[in-house]
Amino acid sequence: MTYFKTLLTAMSFLVALNGATHAAEEWGLPDEKVTRFEAKVVDILCELTGDCPKACGAGKRQLGLLNDANKLILPTKNSVIFAGAAAELIDFCNEKVIADGLLTTNRGHTIFALQFVRKAPDGPWRGANRFLPKWAAANGVDPKSDTVEEWYLHDPAIKAELAANGKLGLGLAADKEYEARQ
Amino acid sequence: MKKGVLFAIAALVSAAMAAPATAATGQRIKITGEIIDTWCYITEIMYAEGTAHHQCAMWCAAGGIPVGILADDGQVYMVLKLEGDATSVANPAILKIQTHRVTVDGEVYERDGIQYLVVNQVVDDSGIVKQTHEDYGIQPFGN
Repeated sequence: MTYFKTLLTAMSFLVALNGATHAAEEWGLPDEKVTRFEAKVVDILCELTGDCPKACGAGKRQLGLLNDANKLILPTKNSVIFAGAAAELIDFCNEKVIADGLLTTNRGHTIFALQFVRKAPDGPWRGANRFLPKWAAANGVDPKSDTVEEWYLHDPAIKAELAANGKLGLGLAADKEYEARQ
Repeated sequence: MKKGVLFAIAALVSAAMAAPATAATGQRIKITGEIIDTWCYITEIMYAEGTAHHQCAMWCAAGGIPVGILADDGQVYMVLKLEGDATSVANPAILKIQTHRVTVDGEVYERDGIQYLVVNQVVDDSGIVKQTHEDYGIQPFGN
């Protein structure tokens, strides 16, 4: 929980910066390494299986970072709470970028949290927070409204699922019974 | 005619440039485990299994964080395709089975320490069976 609070504070700071700076911040993750590297943005399913649609799947597929040593790095996170990196990288499909963020290794896996990205070699830096305006546009929400920062509380797909099956996923009665005991 | 040929050549060259040089054949596999959010589980920023983490796992899946299967042997498999649907970012079909205990048939592709999974078929879905909220509350905010 302490990890989560530290992370939340750091991520809020990054979103507030909105790309004004471009040096990755530490988040206190396990075996964390601040890392900047050049890599090609690839559609992971394409890379592994040869199933390669146009435009890396147009935002519907997980994207990887293939570095100069041909190592495929999995970007799992961006700088927005509860959001991933595909929304940040899709604009660079099959292009080389400079990725700035954190490599973290735990439970036998090494994954990457993207904080800043730019087209290689010297494109303008972007904060890895494009998810928010994209979510706002997709959901007809003013991108400057408070709703956007708490997108996860307002996302229609999530709201529909939680309304049907509850926060615990066991049905609304289970939620009610649990909450009554708190 | 000439234009058509040129267009076809350009399309082929473009496809060849996008296609990987290292595409491989997957290994057939049958896995049983829980559908999880990979970020919270791998980083351990919070407890990330079962009912305690279900709501957060829904948020993360809808936000495009890779969804995985935590197999009974502790291995995490990143799901890239589900029963013919190659949507692995905020796939509504995955939201429907988040946190469920499932058995799947598919192909696994190991690359640089990560196991990537193409699910051909969900052969069993037991629903949510791991009840962890009594011990861990509702992650991460407690409500």
